[in-house]
Amino acid sequence: MLAARTSAARNASRLLQRNFASVVDTAGVKVAAVDNGEPTSAVTFLVKAGSRYENKPGVAHALQNFAFKSTAKRSAIGTVREAELYGGVLSSSLSREHLALTAAFLRGDESFFVDVLSSFVTEAKFTRHELNEYVAPVCEAESTSAASNPATRALELAHGLAFRNGLGSPVLSTAHNPVTAELVEQYASSVFSKNNIAVLGTGISQEALSKLVEKSLGKLAASAAVSSTPSSYFGGETRVENYEGPQTVFIGFGATGAPTAELAVLAAHLNPQPSVKWSKGLSPISADVPVTASVQTVLLPYSDATLFGFLVQGETAADVKTAAAAAVSALKAAGSIKAEELKKAVAKAKFAAASSIEGRVGFATTLGAKVLAGAPSNLDGTLSSLDKVDTSAFSNASAALLKAKPTYVALGDVQQLPHADEVGL
Amino acid sequence: MTVFGPLGPSLAPYLRSFKGFRSALKTHADWYANLAGYRRMGLKYDDLLVEERPDVERAISRLTPRQIYDRTYRFKRASQQSILHKDLPKEEWLPAAEDVRYLKPHVEEVVKEDAERAVWDNIAVSRK
Repeated sequence: MLAARTSAARNASRLLQRNFASVVDTAGVKVAAVDNGEPTSAVTFLVKAGSRYENKPGVAHALQNFAFKSTAKRSAIGTVREAELYGGVLSSSLSREHLALTAAFLRGDESFFVDVLSSFVTEAKFTRHELNEYVAPVCEAESTSAASNPATRALELAHGLAFRNGLGSPVLSTAHNPVTAELVEQYASSVFSKNNIAVLGTGISQEALSKLVEKSLGKLAASAAVSSTPSSYFGGETRVENYEGPQTVFIGFGATGAPTAELAVLAAHLNPQPSVKWSKGLSPISADVPVTASVQTVLLPYSDATLFGFLVQGETAADVKTAAAAAVSALKAAGSIKAEELKKAVAKAKFAAASSIEGRVGFATTLGAKVLAGAPSNLDGTLSSLDKVDTSAFSNASAALLKAKPTYVALGDVQQLPHADEVGL
Repeated sequence: MTVFGPLGPSLAPYLRSFKGFRSALKTHADWYANLAGYRRMGLKYDDLLVEERPDVERAISRLTPRQIYDRTYRFKRASQQSILHKDLPKEEWLPAAEDVRYLKPHVEEVVKEDAERAVWDNIAVSRK
């Protein structure tokens, strides 16, 4: 009896925490950490410094690649070699809204790695020769490889059409908009301020992280948070010639305001990706999609807008036309969803939301954005709001989507690819 | 590591540290720089650095586009004067105020980086 009880208690304490225990304001910086006893630790500095906030195109991308270059404390080679000696991994990633600087390392090495991260934030040098010798070539390679991927390119074009400025500005830099070291330094000094940064740790205790952050970020300026005009949705149509990769069409629908649960359920309902291998799935789209074409639902929630859509790709323009028409008619029919279908879609959406924070990266970026926005840093709210979606709210949401002007991007053989009115929009 | 020439070790910083001696040294140095004749060809002292070395090449690549353009112009003008076996007319000589070390800081930076890389390449790691 006693043995059973102790083992139950042990099991309870072993339950993994899937949220940050608390968010502590340390010297003006939001610090959140959770320790599930992982063998390694990771610390992420999540900064509101995505392409949305940049004042010149490409500056955010250059800032991302300037990460871990020389600072007043150590040179670029010193940072890399010392991190290698500790066996840690330094990485930086950029999205439309956030810049994430991450260090993953063995337990016990946190003082060095937090120092590396914070010395980039507080005292990076942004030298002109590093921009020319290391940063610009990487930026160029990244944007070239992104441009050769039709799906990425279609989504970039769609963001430009849907939101124009702010969220519409491209994530990656282009060769036509050269960035100077001074511009990057200016941007860095505007975004690296106390109220713009959240420090997120996994596999590290809250007290240890707070102490390190207080020591290293204490002298950081607390200027006003970066501002950007609230997003508004425009929509439009564009057709771009592209000669490599599959024929691609993106059909997008935007909504402004905080991302709603209804859209997540709609995406889950229409998503033609099967849950079981070698099956076609039960989505209303999958039956009508030709074998040589594919449809993916895309749901991109941002802090004050959402872009929902279908990415249709196929070998020939005729396949793409059939598949895109199937997707649009399924969206139009989604308003009259049956209750049991809705239940299934809600379960799928809840699983997608929960599994997105399963990995370390998803955990830090999804919950980190909530920490930065001052919202409760857990998934309970998201899951309960998904539970509350009913058929009327769902059909209202899908009708509202269809009312606005769609975003339509055709990429490939523009002579053959369908126009928006030919797929039922 | 060059032993002689503008990139080699120099006594100048040591000698400059004697305050009374400094003005006498300055007069002598100015006299020597004018005598060397490179200013008469419109060149700066840093144009004389041996550039066929990886570190100096990298330092030159770090100049601003304007600095590189001006440097090339000075070289072209000087080689034309060399062909003519003539100095520039006196009003075109490089004034002493313009004879600044525009390249040396970059070379020093590159040398420092190379030295740091060598240190990291040969470091002996011990566990505490």
